[in-house]
Amino acid sequence: METQHRPFSPSRILAITANTLTDLTRQKVFYVLLIFALVLIGSSVFLARFSFQQEFQILKDVSLGAMSIFTSLLAIVATARLIPQDLEDRTVSTILAKPVPRFEYLLGKLLGVVCLLAISLVAMTLLFVMVFHTREQTVLGETMRQMSGATHEQLQDALNTIRANALRRDIFEGVAVIFLKASLLAALTLFVSTFATTNIFTIVVMVAVYFIGHLQTTAREYWLTQESAGWIAKTFLAIVALIFPDLQAFSLVDEIVAGAVIPLAVFAKTALLGVFYIVIYTLAATFVFYGKEL
Amino acid sequence: MTDPAVAVENLTKVFPVPFRRQPIVAVRDLNLRVEPGEVYGLLGPNGSGKTTTLKIILGLVSPTRGQTKIFGRNSTLVESREAVGFLPENPYFHRFLTGKETLRFFGKLCGMNGSRLDDRVRELLALVGLANAAHQRLSTYSKGMLQRIGLAQALINEPQLVVLDEPTAGVDPAGSRDIRDLIVDLKRRGITVLLSPHLLSQVQEICDRIGILAKGKLVCEGRLEELIAVENRSELVLENATDTLLKEIEKLAANSNAKVIERRTSTTTLERLFLDATKDE
Repeated sequence: METQHRPFSPSRILAITANTLTDLTRQKVFYVLLIFALVLIGSSVFLARFSFQQEFQILKDVSLGAMSIFTSLLAIVATARLIPQDLEDRTVSTILAKPVPRFEYLLGKLLGVVCLLAISLVAMTLLFVMVFHTREQTVLGETMRQMSGATHEQLQDALNTIRANALRRDIFEGVAVIFLKASLLAALTLFVSTFATTNIFTIVVMVAVYFIGHLQTTAREYWLTQESAGWIAKTFLAIVALIFPDLQAFSLVDEIVAGAVIPLAVFAKTALLGVFYIVIYTLAATFVFYGKEL
Repeated sequence: MTDPAVAVENLTKVFPVPFRRQPIVAVRDLNLRVEPGEVYGLLGPNGSGKTTTLKIILGLVSPTRGQTKIFGRNSTLVESREAVGFLPENPYFHRFLTGKETLRFFGKLCGMNGSRLDDRVRELLALVGLANAAHQRLSTYSKGMLQRIGLAQALINEPQLVVLDEPTAGVDPAGSRDIRDLIVDLKRRGITVLLSPHLLSQVQEICDRIGILAKGKLVCEGRLEELIAVENRSELVLENATDTLLKEIEKLAANSNAKVIERRTSTTTLERLFLDATKDE
């Protein structure tokens, strides 16, 4: 029998991606988390009643912090249920009984979550920029009114100070880092869910990984600077660093919020690290999933 | 020589059980062939290895020993499933999709798109009697409707082999009869059907050959009419026969050293009675 089968098909992956995205957007948990994030960002406007520098800083802090937590949570919760649900419903058997390689199935699922994360982040970023812009215009208007008697130079100085504290383009680099971190967590969750028996187990493991991932850099630096750190401690730390993602590497976003200018090379290195982790975890998930009896 | 639609060669599947010395042997040294165009029934009690065998044939479970082939291609190859349709036992599908979206999704997985896919979806929805429910979400479908959409997705890629695991489980007699008719229609079109039915009466109606599994071993296989025939007995069905005529026949039989074993009034089947009683409802 002649074959028309293609070993790799973007259209098959796209079909699974679209299907996964449809599934996820129809989950109520998604809307609850989205509302949570939107309320948080919105409320920061009313909570910040300090000087405009402090107000802008708090607004950036709260908004990007909320985006980071929300997308990380969403990545873990949304991904954890995908494979166990398909296994329980036996939809995975129906899908893989078609000429669909298991790798494409996993990749389609992961891309579905990644699309969801991207859509959520775009929505939150738009809201954040709108809120920030509104506050900036209000402060500019108030300043112009208050300094109506000042000279042109004095007024320009004041307005420039306000603009200098407003949104800079590198805030979008921060959003990109949040996206990468969430995508990495989604890939790792997908890997864990290929051998987990329940999605609760996956979520618990991922919460632990999240904390270890954030703390491991500090622990490593502390232990390795101790003179007593022997080869056992070093080997252990090397294994931890290999298994758990170094999530502290994605704390660039905090520096951006604090006003630091991040060199392009540092940003590119972080992005590369994120992509590296995603590829590794997806390959590991594929390896486990190929051995799975369905 | 054409390849068999399904070839199972020396197949053994052992499932290791954690913390137990004795693993479970689901299938042992199984050999069977399903020829193109025939309807083959794989029977057996619960736990006899039917579903495991079907899953190995479909590449969903890997064999411990031996191999399975679909039209000459090893089941471990993804392309072996190019010409296969599968309806799992109690299918659930994605309940957030409508009937039409479900078929489009499975069609895309088989590399179909555009007007070819649209036409095929429309054709199949009509074939399984779900044209009016095409835009309803599967979460609102009844068990019988889910089974029918399941059958439609199995046929989306115009397969040469259809594998059905308990296709009428949980379906009412009318739905069951519809599915039986669809299988007969597949056979008429030359499509090979491998099924694991739970209703033996249906096996008798539609299967060309059967294999019976018990504890993972094939204990009986062959053409259905040969397996169930009682060699030294014949049946004669009469209409409007008088008592005198029947007595005459019995006398004739006795004179020829034959014996009338049973004499009874003909009955219809319970299924026929149910269908006739509910057809206008």
